[in-house]
Amino acid sequence: MCRTGQQSDPHDADDEKTSDAAFAALLEDSAEELYECAPCGYLSTLMDGTIAKINTTLLDWLGLNREAVVGRMRFTDLLTVGGRLYHETHFAPLLRMQGEIGGVALEIRKADGVRMPVLASSVVKHGATGEPLLIRTTLFDARDRRAYEEELLRARRAAEEAQRQAEADRARLQDALAALQSSLLPDTLPPIPGMESAAHYRTASPDRLGGDFYDVFRLDAARFVFFLGDVCGKGPQAAAVTSLTRYTLRAAALHDPDPASALTTLNRVLHERYSSGDPRYCTAIFGTLEPDPVTGQVTVHLASGGHPPALVLRADGTADFLPTPGGLLVGILPTARFTPATITLGPGDTLLLYTDGLTEARTGESRTDLYGDEALRAFATDQAGRYPQAVMKALTGLLDSFGDGLDDDTALLALGVPASGSREPA
Amino acid sequence: MDVQRRNNVTVTGNPHGPTVVLAHGFGCDQNMWRLTVPALVKDYRVVLFDYVGSGRSDLSAFSETRYASLAGYAQDVVDVCDVLDLRGVVFVGHSVSAMIGVLAAQMAPERIGALVMVAPSPRYIDDEGYRGGFSAEDIEELLDSMELNYLGWSAAMAPVIMGNAERPELGEELANSFCATDPAMARVFARTTFLSDSRQDLNKVSVPTLVLDCTQDAIAPREVGAYVHQAIPGSTLLTLDATGHCPHMSAPEATNEAITGFLAGLR
Amino acid sequence: MSPLNIEVRDAPIGPVLEVIGELDYDTSAELRHLLAALPLKPGQRLVLDLARMEFCDSSGISALIAARNHAQSAGADIALAAVPANTLRVLRVVGLDQVFPLHPVAESAIEP
Repeated sequence: MCRTGQQSDPHDADDEKTSDAAFAALLEDSAEELYECAPCGYLSTLMDGTIAKINTTLLDWLGLNREAVVGRMRFTDLLTVGGRLYHETHFAPLLRMQGEIGGVALEIRKADGVRMPVLASSVVKHGATGEPLLIRTTLFDARDRRAYEEELLRARRAAEEAQRQAEADRARLQDALAALQSSLLPDTLPPIPGMESAAHYRTASPDRLGGDFYDVFRLDAARFVFFLGDVCGKGPQAAAVTSLTRYTLRAAALHDPDPASALTTLNRVLHERYSSGDPRYCTAIFGTLEPDPVTGQVTVHLASGGHPPALVLRADGTADFLPTPGGLLVGILPTARFTPATITLGPGDTLLLYTDGLTEARTGESRTDLYGDEALRAFATDQAGRYPQAVMKALTGLLDSFGDGLDDDTALLALGVPASGSREPA
Repeated sequence: MDVQRRNNVTVTGNPHGPTVVLAHGFGCDQNMWRLTVPALVKDYRVVLFDYVGSGRSDLSAFSETRYASLAGYAQDVVDVCDVLDLRGVVFVGHSVSAMIGVLAAQMAPERIGALVMVAPSPRYIDDEGYRGGFSAEDIEELLDSMELNYLGWSAAMAPVIMGNAERPELGEELANSFCATDPAMARVFARTTFLSDSRQDLNKVSVPTLVLDCTQDAIAPREVGAYVHQAIPGSTLLTLDATGHCPHMSAPEATNEAITGFLAGLR
Repeated sequence: MSPLNIEVRDAPIGPVLEVIGELDYDTSAELRHLLAALPLKPGQRLVLDLARMEFCDSSGISALIAARNHAQSAGADIALAAVPANTLRVLRVVGLDQVFPLHPVAESAIEP
């Protein structure tokens, strides 16, 4: 064991001479003493690892005699098996390559079998001609540090696991949202004899279920039903209302396809379902299409419940809103009035329905700089006479151009009668 | 897929000479061969590479499934041979790479004409009638040692450092950076290496084979070297007077002499 | 900082809520919460003075409807005063101009 030879206490009494002597004794602490009793383990090995010199501190840690170690054991013999593997695969090759290696965590095995974590650093001593002569190694007691590191590792593993879990949960949620969202919209639009149709749906945020909806389906041999609307609010609650709305309108259409009547049914359903608690309502345009195979014209009956007016793009290059004034939001009052309208679409005409995500897209710095009805009408005028697919392509390009300005979901539905004189083929 | 970039392939030496492929083992990368390459460059074309997940390979190409078996690593060897259109090469594999070479020779016999197995072991864990030198617990201990030595390297950070070709100085700044790699990938390699059992593949070797073991090797002891030699028909066993598991680093002259002697015998 | 501020004062006919700033998705809950805690007696009139409302989106419209429902369930009346032109246009589109009594200024809305 390492003990100081001096027994005198430097702070003994106020005798300066004693204190000076003690200090001098400290200064005379020999290099040998410093080596043997250093607060770290020292060890010199031949290049093959055979231990040539080892200090008392390390022998004390190991619980071994110098005779049992020097010339008899290799550095790796002091290590645990795992440490030995690490030494052979990492420590030794790196030391060879770099001539030194620092701060490597290893474990030594004491004579009593107890492991002791250490931090090992080694340098290779070279001879005059650069040939490696021996390896000098220091080992620092890392017991406290190791306990702390293991705690850190444990915490890191827990954090990584939590993160994995969170990512998996998030992916599952995204899948569920996507499935739910797709249940709110038709997969494809049915073919309508004598007509072309195109639809587009854009969510403002992939994390949020949209509240916009549209649908087109066959009612009977002669007629088709279409509707498009916007449920107030966003998220799961809005999606639930959207779902209710879509299937209510479908059922109502089968019962009575008169547009005002279908919206009245929806109004009653929504009002009854949501009048207590948080009111939920929507805007919607509902209509029927009746193509005439003889004339090629399509008669459209529609009604609006508080929805922005549809646009009619005519073959002659004009576009105008189809007024449906006074139609009330669907679901806020027990009884509500809906305004019906009827138009005829001839060859080259297209009916365009949209939600206010389009007209309320921000186009400037201020949140009151909105795209607006007039701009949309002007845009539609430029598209008048084109096929619904071409109109839709232009509109999706317009949505793209809004970039971040598109704050809300947008649903678009174009229903048109192709004409031989149209500007593009189908 | 750019295999040369993915596996950080280096081609050096005599372009007209026969080709020698040097494959590093678990724990480091192609730098391990830097004392071997000078002995070969005059007469041989030398191909070096890093397995995916090691050294300066493209870490984004790593797949935990593919590299959970030695066949995944052997596929790296075959890919490298394919992209360079190498035929009949001498494959020099250190440690686990010796066994990877055995598998690669089975997968693409036309590519590999001879094997040099440096400190090989077909199975590290003791088994009935077989002494590999380790228990399953020992291997878990190694994995722990590795993990502790990666502390401070965040798993996310290491690949950035290693993979950033524009800033090689980042790699230099880190001490002990030669063999630094992503800890998660190193862990997969360690598991695959130390838990594999390729004893059944040894007798399928049909190319000239040199087995090199060391007088003192804690990882692949002499009896394992003898086992490998015995199992491979017609193989040559040479025991190098070297200590440790990396004779090409600790006794480069003897190792190089053994390899070049074998190569000369093939010509 | 919320860009919405609501000032409440009492007129003889009932409470007057002056909505100042932006009534939108982020702020409309404030108006709803304030309404929920607002005492209303049967026969009173709740006046929403929108003269200084700078912006109102669909969530804001929803909050106005919630105000109407709150007044109705208390047996009270509701009126909107000084509706900005943009909002008035939206109210017309959704048919609410027929549901809410509209006044040009708050002074006329608080007359019995």
